[in-house]
Amino acid sequence: MTGFEQLVRGFSIALSWKGLLYCFIGCLWGTVVGVLPGLGPLAGMTLLLPLTFGLDPTIGIIMLTGIFYGAMYGGSTTSILVRIPGEAASVVTCIDGYEMARQGRAGPALMISAVGSFIGGTVSVLGLMFIAPPLAKVMIAIGPSVEVVLMLLALFVISIVSAGSRVKTATMVVLGLLLGTIGLDNLTGAPRFTFGSPELSGGLSFAALAIGLFGLSEILLNLEKTETIKAIRPKLRDLIPRWNDMRDSAPAIGRGSVIGFIFGIIPGVSHVVSTFVSYAVEKRLSRHPEQFGKGAIAGVAGPETANNAVTGTAMIPLLALGIPSIPATALLLSALTIHGVQPGPLLLTDRPDVFWGLVASMYIGNVILLTLNLPLVGIFVNLLRIPYQWLVVAILVISIIGVYSVNSSVIDIWIMVASGGVGYLLRKLGYEMAPLLLALVLGDRLESSFRLALTMSGGSYATFLDTASVVVLGSALGLLLLIQGLAWVFGYRKSVTDEAERA
Amino acid sequence: MADPASVTDHANAPQGTAGPDPAPQRPLLPRAIGSRYAGLLAAAAFVLTGALFAWQAALLDLGQIGLPGPGFFPLLLAVLLVVFAAVIAIEGRLASSKDEPLEFGHAQVLITFAALLAVPLLFELIGAYITLGLMSAVLLVFIARVSVLRAIACSAVGLAACWYLFGELLGVRLPMGPF
Repeated sequence: MTGFEQLVRGFSIALSWKGLLYCFIGCLWGTVVGVLPGLGPLAGMTLLLPLTFGLDPTIGIIMLTGIFYGAMYGGSTTSILVRIPGEAASVVTCIDGYEMARQGRAGPALMISAVGSFIGGTVSVLGLMFIAPPLAKVMIAIGPSVEVVLMLLALFVISIVSAGSRVKTATMVVLGLLLGTIGLDNLTGAPRFTFGSPELSGGLSFAALAIGLFGLSEILLNLEKTETIKAIRPKLRDLIPRWNDMRDSAPAIGRGSVIGFIFGIIPGVSHVVSTFVSYAVEKRLSRHPEQFGKGAIAGVAGPETANNAVTGTAMIPLLALGIPSIPATALLLSALTIHGVQPGPLLLTDRPDVFWGLVASMYIGNVILLTLNLPLVGIFVNLLRIPYQWLVVAILVISIIGVYSVNSSVIDIWIMVASGGVGYLLRKLGYEMAPLLLALVLGDRLESSFRLALTMSGGSYATFLDTASVVVLGSALGLLLLIQGLAWVFGYRKSVTDEAERA
Repeated sequence: MADPASVTDHANAPQGTAGPDPAPQRPLLPRAIGSRYAGLLAAAAFVLTGALFAWQAALLDLGQIGLPGPGFFPLLLAVLLVVFAAVIAIEGRLASSKDEPLEFGHAQVLITFAALLAVPLLFELIGAYITLGLMSAVLLVFIARVSVLRAIACSAVGLAACWYLFGELLGVRLPMGPF
C-alpha cells in the first residue's frame, strides 16, 4: 500500500462514528483541562486512561492524543482572559494576551490564537506524516547499540534544555532511571527492590507516578495561593480581528510553525521551550519591539502556533523510534503498551492502522478544536468561576479512582500520594518532574538494549562506537549545539522569563 | 543596673501605658526556612536514597563488566545519584545568591495531604465510595469552607455521579468494603 492509500485507510478509521466520537471527547476534555489551571494535559490524559481499556487501541490513542493537543488550545484561553496559564506551554501568552484583553481586544487575541494553533497543528501533522515512515525504515536497520546511544542522547538533551539547574535536572533523570529498575529484571526475571511485594513486581505504576508528580503536586502548590480568579469575558461579536491584526500575525504564525516543528523532535520540555523561542524571535524581528509586553498580537500568534506545532512532531520519536520526547507522549507509550501495541520502527509495518488512524484523526481534531474553542469560549470561561477548592475535590476523587482502576491495587494510591508529596517538595526547591518521568519510561528499555547489545557483541563496548552510532551521535550533537547557539543569540531565556515574571 | 534610657522612657511614657507594646505573635504555620538549608536537606535525602538503592543492588548478581547482571545498572545509577547529590550540596554551600525563604506548612496543603494519606488506609477497609465521600466532605468543610450539611450533601451527589460514570458506564470495579 502506498502512503496515500494508507492515509485514506486512516481517514476511514478516524471518520467512523467511534473515531469521531472519541476524538471529540478527547478534544473537548483536553480543552477543559487546558482551561483549568492546575490540571495539565498529562493529568487529563491519565484521568481518562481507564476509559480506553475497553476500546480498540487506535480509538483509545485517538482520544488520548486529542486531550494532548486540545489542552494546547485551551491553555491560551486562561492565559488571555485571566493571566494564569492553563498549562505550561501557555505561560508566554500571558504576557501580551492578557494586555490585549485589558485593552478590550480579548476577541482578536483568542481568534488569532485559535487560527495559529490550527495552522501550527496542521503543519506538524504533515511533518509526522512525511518524516515518521522513512525514519522508521532507517531505525529498523539499526541495532540495539544505536538505540542505546539515541536514548542516552535523549536523556542528555533533556538535562541540558530543561529550565533551571542542570545538575538538578540530571539528578531527576538519574532518579527516574533508578525508579524504573524497580520490579522484575527483563532479562533474568530477578526481582529488584520489590521487598517481596507482588504488586511491585511489575514496577511502579506510571499512571500513579504521573498523576502524583504532576497533578497532585500542582494542586498542593496552588492551594498555597489564596487569590480568587477574575476572568475577562469577551463578547462573541468582538472575536473578529482587524486587518492590522491579521497582517501582523501572519508572519508570526509562519515562523511559529517552523519553530514548533523543529523543537517538537527534541526531548525535554519542547512545547514550553518552543514558545519562549518563538516569543524571543518575534520580538527580535519586530519593527516595534517596544510594543511587546503591551499587547502585541505577534506575541500571542507566534508562541501559540509554536506550541501546537510541537504536538505532531513530538509524536515522531514516539511512533517511529519508540522514544517519548515529552511526558504526554510517555503516557501514550504506556497506553499503547497496555493495549499490546509496541511503538517503534515496526509500528508502521505491524500496525499501520494505529499510525495512519492517528494521523488522520489529528487533522480532524484540529478542525474540531478550531470550531469548538471560539463559540464555546463563554462556557469555558464559566468553568473558571468554579472555586478552585471545589475543583480540587473533584480532581482528587477522579484521580484516585482512575489510578486504582489501572491495576486494582491500593499500592498505586500510595504511590500517587507519596509521589505527590515528594513532587510538591521538590518543585518548591526548583526540581522539574518531566525529566524524572521521561527517564522512568526510557530506563527499562535503555537497560535492556544496553545489556542486549553487549550480549550480541560478546561483551565488547566497541559496539557503541560503530559507524552508525557515530553518525547518529554526531548529527544529534550538532543539532544540540545549534539549538544552544540559537538560544544564546536570541537570549530567550533571560529576557523572556523576566517578562513572564513581570506579567 | 537598669538602662537609663529605659528608665527615662518609662518616666516619660504616656498615662495608661505600662511599657513597650508586646511583639506581634507570628502564626505557627506556615514556617519559612532558607532555600539553601532546604536544598541541603534535599541533597541529603538523595544521598540516603542512593545509598539504599546501592545497598540493595549490591545484594543482586552484578555479573561482569562485559555482561552486566541485574544489579549492575541500579548500582551504577545509585552511585551517580549520590555523586549528583553531593554536587548539589556543594553548589548550595558555595552559592553567592540570596538565600530566599521558602514557606512550608500551609494549612490547606497539610489538611489535603492528611486526607489523602487516610484514603489508601481506608479504601479497601470500609469501601471506596465511603472513603472518597469522607475525604470529599472533609476537604469541602476545611478547604472550601462549606457547612457540614452542605458538604455531606454535595459529597453524596458527587459520589453517586462517580458510581454511575465509573461503575455502571465504564465497568470499573471498586472495593465495596464490608457491604
